[in-house]
Amino acid sequence: MHNSTAAVVPRPSVVTLGSALRRLGTVFWNLPRNILILLLMAYRKVVSPLYGQVCRFFPSCSAYALEAITVHGAVKGSWLAARRLLRCHPWNAGGVDHVPAGHREWPAGRTPTIVVLNNPDIYLAAQPDGEGRSAV
Amino acid sequence: MDIFGTILAPFKWLVSAIMVGFHDGLSTIGMSPANGWTWTLSIIGLVLVIRAALIPVFVKQIKAQRGMQLLQPDLKKMQDKYKGKTDQLSRQAMAQEQMALYKKHGTNPFSACLPMLIQMPFFFALFQVLSGISSAKVSGQGIGAMSAEQVKQFDESTIFGAPLSASLLHGSTAGGEVAVWILSIVMILAMTASQFITQKQIMAKNMSEEALASPFMRQQKMMLYILPVVFGVGGINFPIGVLIYWTTTNLWTMGQQFFVIRRMPTPGSPAAKALAERRAAKGLPALPLLGGKKVDAEAAEAAAAAAVEAKTQRVQPQRKNRKRK
Repeated sequence: MHNSTAAVVPRPSVVTLGSALRRLGTVFWNLPRNILILLLMAYRKVVSPLYGQVCRFFPSCSAYALEAITVHGAVKGSWLAARRLLRCHPWNAGGVDHVPAGHREWPAGRTPTIVVLNNPDIYLAAQPDGEGRSAV
Repeated sequence: MDIFGTILAPFKWLVSAIMVGFHDGLSTIGMSPANGWTWTLSIIGLVLVIRAALIPVFVKQIKAQRGMQLLQPDLKKMQDKYKGKTDQLSRQAMAQEQMALYKKHGTNPFSACLPMLIQMPFFFALFQVLSGISSAKVSGQGIGAMSAEQVKQFDESTIFGAPLSASLLHGSTAGGEVAVWILSIVMILAMTASQFITQKQIMAKNMSEEALASPFMRQQKMMLYILPVVFGVGGINFPIGVLIYWTTTNLWTMGQQFFVIRRMPTPGSPAAKALAERRAAKGLPALPLLGGKKVDAEAAEAAAAAAVEAKTQRVQPQRKNRKRK
């Protein structure tokens, strides 16, 4: 909060210190989320291919977890992912099961890849060029 | 107290209880309780219990695969829609539609990761039980349901002169190094061979042409070469007892696969054709399709309609008690 007052007064050194501190705070705040994201990405790159597709849902459990943690953060994302894992058993018919929408807004053109890939019905239709469904 | 240990504790108890149960049973029918073969058979018994418990899951998956044939027309339609669209997002859209289709028909060829995940705590628990035997013996403690005497007995028991708690890399406290070496290598080879045979059988006989052409195939092939490495690394690190468990479970998988390929093959695969031919030769009717929820009724209706058409004339409904010649 005090950063905004610092920004009004033209004191460049303080401004950079304030914004650096704020950036450091953000890094720490996002650390758990980013660690989990890295772990999940490594799992999807290394372990998932070993098993092939086993998941009865779209998106698959690991894709779901990655999106949930990207969108909802480490705590709520993990909770959502754990609940999905419990749903994924042979007596569930499976099907399409999206991550609930979050409150985070992404800058234009910078939507995380996983969010795009997990919601092809939304993003494929929104594609302006001829790559999408327009060619049907 | 570590979380891992706390989670594993009940599994350790269960695993050791099943082993002790088999051990007691085998002892009462006259096998020597201190003999390594009695403990080996107890480990094999544990495998049989775990794998037999997983049979319902497996059967369910097989039935779901059978049900797949019912949605072939819909699946084909969808594949045509996405023909030539190779960008990732289109592929994802196709995957999503496919899943929605499975859900609609109440069938799903994927077994979910549960059958795989559920075996893991048992394996880790067994590993902890068997690798903890030597140190538990030194401190004179029991493990899980195993009493201190049984721990001692297990630690001292051998097969072919190799102690069950010894491993190739970490040696043994009771000697028999050469036997441990030979036995470990034989079991690594047995695991690799059984896995190779299983995989080759599936690919050569039990996959439909569409499945063989899918990118999923590449992963299957990768498994063929990665798993032997895993067996090799595990094989030299793990105690003989764990290797017995691992080898037995692999052999079970192989046997199960043989049975499935012969009796319940994937529709559209060479094995399915072979089964159909065998049945035709014996004069048996073709196998009905299983799985699928509401679709079954529709399919039956369609079949009935086709049958009526084939007869060209509709048979008048009759009362059941009317006499027929």
